[in-house]
Amino acid sequence: MADRLAPVAVEHVAQVQEAVRAFDRVTVRGSGTKPALAIAPSYDRAQPLDLRGLRGIVEYEPQEYTFTARAGTPLAEVNDLLAANGQYLPFDPVLVEAGATLGGTVASGLSGSGRLRYGGVRDFILGVRFVDGSGATVQGGGKVVKNAAGFDFPKLLTGSIGRLGVIVEVSFKVFPAPPAYRSLLVHFPSFSPALEAIYALTTQPFDLVALDLLPGDEPTGAKEGWTLALRIGGAKALLASRLDRVQRILAAGDAVSSPAGDAEASFWREAAEFAWAPAAANLVKVALTPTQIPALESRLVATPVPCRYTVAGNVLWIAWPDALAKLDSILNELGLAGVVVRGQATVPWIGRAPTSAFARRIKSALDPHDKFAPLYPD
Amino acid sequence: MQHAIPVVELGPQGLAMAKAVDSCVHCGLCLAACPTYKTLGEEMDSPRGRIFLMKEALEGSLTTEEVLPYVDRCLGCMACVTACPSGVAYGDLLAPFRAHAEKTRHRPVMEAAARLLVRTTMPYPRRFRSAVRLGKLARVARPLLPPALRPMLDMLPDSLPASAPLPERIDTQGQRRARVALLTGCVQNVLAPEINWATARVLARNGVEVVIPRSQGCCGSLSLHTGEADQARDLARHNLRVFPHDVDAIITNAAGCGSGMHEYPLLFAGQPDEDAAQVFAHKVMDISVFLYQLGIETPPPLPQPVRVAYHDACHLAHAQRITAEPRSLLVTVPNLTLVEIPEGDLCCGSAGTYNLEQPDTARQLGERKAHNILAVEPQVIAAGNIGCIMQIRKHIRGQSQALPILHTITILDRAYAGLPLLSE
Amino acid sequence: MALETLISELTARIPPERLLQQRPQLAPYESDALTSLRARPRAVLLAGTQEEVIDAVRLCHAHRVPFVARGSGTSLSGGSLPIEDGIVIALNRLNRIIALDPRQRLAVVEPGIINLDVSRAAAPHGLYYAPDPSSQPICTIGGNVAFNSGGAHCLKYGMTANHVLGIKAVLPDGEVVQLGGASLETSGPDLTGFFVGSEGLFGVALEITLRLLPKPEAYRTILASYDSLAAAGQAVSDVVAAGLLPGAMEIMDRLAIEAAEASVNAGYPRDAAALLIVELEGEAVEVDAEFAHLRRVIERSGAGEIRVAADEAERARIWKGRKGAFSAVGRLSPNYIVQDGVVPRSKLGEALQRIEALSAAHGTRVANVFHAGDGNLHPLILYDGRVPGALERAEDLAGEIIHMCIELGGSITGEHGVGMEKRRHMPAMFSPDDLALMSSVRRAVDPLELANRGKMLPAGQTQVTAGQHEQAVTDHG
Repeated sequence: MADRLAPVAVEHVAQVQEAVRAFDRVTVRGSGTKPALAIAPSYDRAQPLDLRGLRGIVEYEPQEYTFTARAGTPLAEVNDLLAANGQYLPFDPVLVEAGATLGGTVASGLSGSGRLRYGGVRDFILGVRFVDGSGATVQGGGKVVKNAAGFDFPKLLTGSIGRLGVIVEVSFKVFPAPPAYRSLLVHFPSFSPALEAIYALTTQPFDLVALDLLPGDEPTGAKEGWTLALRIGGAKALLASRLDRVQRILAAGDAVSSPAGDAEASFWREAAEFAWAPAAANLVKVALTPTQIPALESRLVATPVPCRYTVAGNVLWIAWPDALAKLDSILNELGLAGVVVRGQATVPWIGRAPTSAFARRIKSALDPHDKFAPLYPD
Repeated sequence: MQHAIPVVELGPQGLAMAKAVDSCVHCGLCLAACPTYKTLGEEMDSPRGRIFLMKEALEGSLTTEEVLPYVDRCLGCMACVTACPSGVAYGDLLAPFRAHAEKTRHRPVMEAAARLLVRTTMPYPRRFRSAVRLGKLARVARPLLPPALRPMLDMLPDSLPASAPLPERIDTQGQRRARVALLTGCVQNVLAPEINWATARVLARNGVEVVIPRSQGCCGSLSLHTGEADQARDLARHNLRVFPHDVDAIITNAAGCGSGMHEYPLLFAGQPDEDAAQVFAHKVMDISVFLYQLGIETPPPLPQPVRVAYHDACHLAHAQRITAEPRSLLVTVPNLTLVEIPEGDLCCGSAGTYNLEQPDTARQLGERKAHNILAVEPQVIAAGNIGCIMQIRKHIRGQSQALPILHTITILDRAYAGLPLLSE
Repeated sequence: MALETLISELTARIPPERLLQQRPQLAPYESDALTSLRARPRAVLLAGTQEEVIDAVRLCHAHRVPFVARGSGTSLSGGSLPIEDGIVIALNRLNRIIALDPRQRLAVVEPGIINLDVSRAAAPHGLYYAPDPSSQPICTIGGNVAFNSGGAHCLKYGMTANHVLGIKAVLPDGEVVQLGGASLETSGPDLTGFFVGSEGLFGVALEITLRLLPKPEAYRTILASYDSLAAAGQAVSDVVAAGLLPGAMEIMDRLAIEAAEASVNAGYPRDAAALLIVELEGEAVEVDAEFAHLRRVIERSGAGEIRVAADEAERARIWKGRKGAFSAVGRLSPNYIVQDGVVPRSKLGEALQRIEALSAAHGTRVANVFHAGDGNLHPLILYDGRVPGALERAEDLAGEIIHMCIELGGSITGEHGVGMEKRRHMPAMFSPDDLALMSSVRRAVDPLELANRGKMLPAGQTQVTAGQHEQAVTDHG
């Protein structure tokens, strides 16, 4: 790797515009909680912009269920403010304690286990202000909860990892927070009944907040089998009876524990911080569907690695200890695509090559002079 | 919808036609209810499309000849009227438009001949009876006949019941609660005279004196709904004269007749008989509505439980908004369970003479209806219209099934008599 | 001429009953649900297969002929208005459910399928498709995708974009792409979300993967009458302040109530100045508890009559009245313009008062039916098109209402899209830089500007070549 330029600390949008106009290549960083996403080897000579100074909540009217904040605002700050008003971000942001910023969360498009209930980042973002590749500041979407005017740049920028523009401000929809939570951890001796349990639960009219599947026996720490972890939220007085109903569906599971209070909260907080993933490992997110899991599991079973299926089998988080080439080939074989969030990647994409004529054309419009890293490798 | 229809030039019905166009907002909610749109999937075969086409023709930017193929394909089932939130009186546009168009219309020779045959036989029971007999003879020659005439032959029944005219008056059993006049109808009286007998018996049983004017004729609805306004007026005028005025109601047991007779005021708009038509139409009632409002004696229980699927005739359900009354009557019969037919709002394809004029669409709709009925596995099908009964019977048999299909009133009649339902 | 060459090539491939070219066949396609605009296309192709659509788009591209994709023609913004020197590709017959996977709660459908038919197909599995535009008995999923349609139940579960996971589409030059997939998550930019709501400018969706939801176990629907719109608006704020998250919150004013009652006898209190409908949905025990809370909030909100739907039939009647309200207003006036502006929820009261004042000042009646929970207004501006100048006056009033929405921090459209009807208001909501980028994105995807030309982007930005003729797209609005 060639030498890197020192980041420029940004405090105003105008500085971003100037930088985009002045430098041939620009990259963006926040607090560095997802370092692999900022890597762009062919852009070594790029000027990094540090957006942590572009922070602060611009607008928040609790009665509107919306807020607008600058990209560098730490999520922790947002969460605290919302919690003080009995509200929350239903997409369940990750790496909040690690220091993740709002802009980085949008650019990475990452949501947590709790996105099962109401949707992910893309479902709650309302508006985005960003600097495009020509240095213009563009507003997409709006600040109200419903809006169908113009192209949906807020969604386009979600998951664009800095390759389509520099996000400087975002508006979000929020919801009233459930007053209390309860969880259920159910151990299954093997994978397939656990997967059946996911199907059984998601087709019932239960308002589950989260439904994850993780290897081993979570309560005892034993390595065998799989643990299904589910969470419900709502009025405290009703949680026990609601949990009972859910449990009756899960007759197949054996050992059951139902954490409450701090233990419950920290179980999900640790999940959102990826506490289970060794720091040295490559942390990879793979989008899939439950029916794709058995084939994937049969390829992974030979070399057990720490992992966690979240969102009722729609996302796999995997902590891959070795070189990524092997995981890449497994995913490729199964037609799955993922993104490397932490680790030794040269490009953030892994698995099935994400080529799209549509994406290429949009990239050419937003970034005509290749100021930002290529969206996809050639 | 905005329009430039020359209202005055179109005569007394111009205003009604213009009003229907006016109130259409082109929202498209009628499309989902329209049998031809559901079958053909094109805008000009939807109510919204037809309203637009008729508007263009009335305004003169399209010729009548250009739009008629699409207007012809309309079943007149009025399902769009039920679906329309804007209250477009589609029937007030369709019937006058058809009449307006018929004046200048050129039909191919064989089609004209077929129409003439229908027009000169169906409304006249004696002629119709003879025509059916002749038609049966003509079946041997079917392959030689022009295609326009073949569907007519295919609709003919294998045998006709014996003619069984009702007396001029049937007295009540017990105390008299009401006095009504009964329209015996034309086609029905030939094909299924027992329906009128059943009607009279059920009325009498419930304390209603029934008058059956001997000289009554066809009500004119068939002609009215096919654009033969002059013939419709002649027929209607005759009945206006021969029906008594001192009755509580004029009863019909055929949906198409009931719906047509309710249209008399528009048919006679601006004419000397307009007032008489108003009075007459006001008295017209479907048998199910009359009995429901009167309140009937509970029949004895059926010998065994029976599942009955009630079919909504379009001219009851959509044209007259009668859906609850027949169902309420049927469920008064102990041991009778009602089942609902999927896509119950959809026309069976009978629609007056439609199955003669648009046989392909009629067949598709008939098959769809049979399929929907069979899906809920009834033991008996009930309906309040002879056309539907014929059409559904044909297509149920086409699926190699032999479910009895009975008029609602026949079911009540049999229940009172302690007769089984499970045969026709 | 390029157009005629295209037509003869299509004629060679498509049987005449599916390539409509005669006057009476084309006339009914001149308008969608916005009848103040009309344009007769050169031909309408009733596409029978996806391949035919792809073929037609490629031919249009080869001959530089603009095309408009059309479903059931229910757009209120003129979104499927044809182009006179172009063709219409009708997708309503392309209406198969390609796959229904109840275990993964997915449906893969063709664009012509009717919104409600998706829920009907999913119902036996206890599932449904959540977005419920009022036109759901007839509007198509393809149209919903193009305009990111909403409905009464957006507050909790969002609009069309929140329920579309993947799209197979043909781009305006005939290239076929797959965006997204079957997973709730993707990696990379949300291209599916970007395609949704692009008003047909990015091409034609051929296969759409939809997310289905389990049908809520319980619904509780409450009707409350108020003596002013402002009081009903305040009740909405009270519900929100109470921390409740209803599935829907709707308001209708006196004119709308009158029209809806005349139409379906929904049982609305006829003497009310405003009517609020609030619906809770979810697990039965939760809904029961929340409903007790909601009822207290409504009782304290100054409501006159309060009525609770006793059963599913009454609930259906309440919604039938609400969903038919736009069309029912056709009973009150021969013509109307439906507006679709959005204001921040806390500004509802102010917005309604200003609309009332504007209505009085213009001497033009306005009926209001709206998604109060979303701040999504639907003023219906009533006019009689036969009166000279009436349309212009109605449009002026509509324009003032739109500008008020922007001034209050809202949007020019919540769910109907910009289409033809609101594109002149785009510059009031977006800066020249915003619009310039939208235009360059559009041109990057469709350099010839063939797909649904003239929609969404302000007139005058699109100088295009059609056939051999240089032609500026003019503003019909």
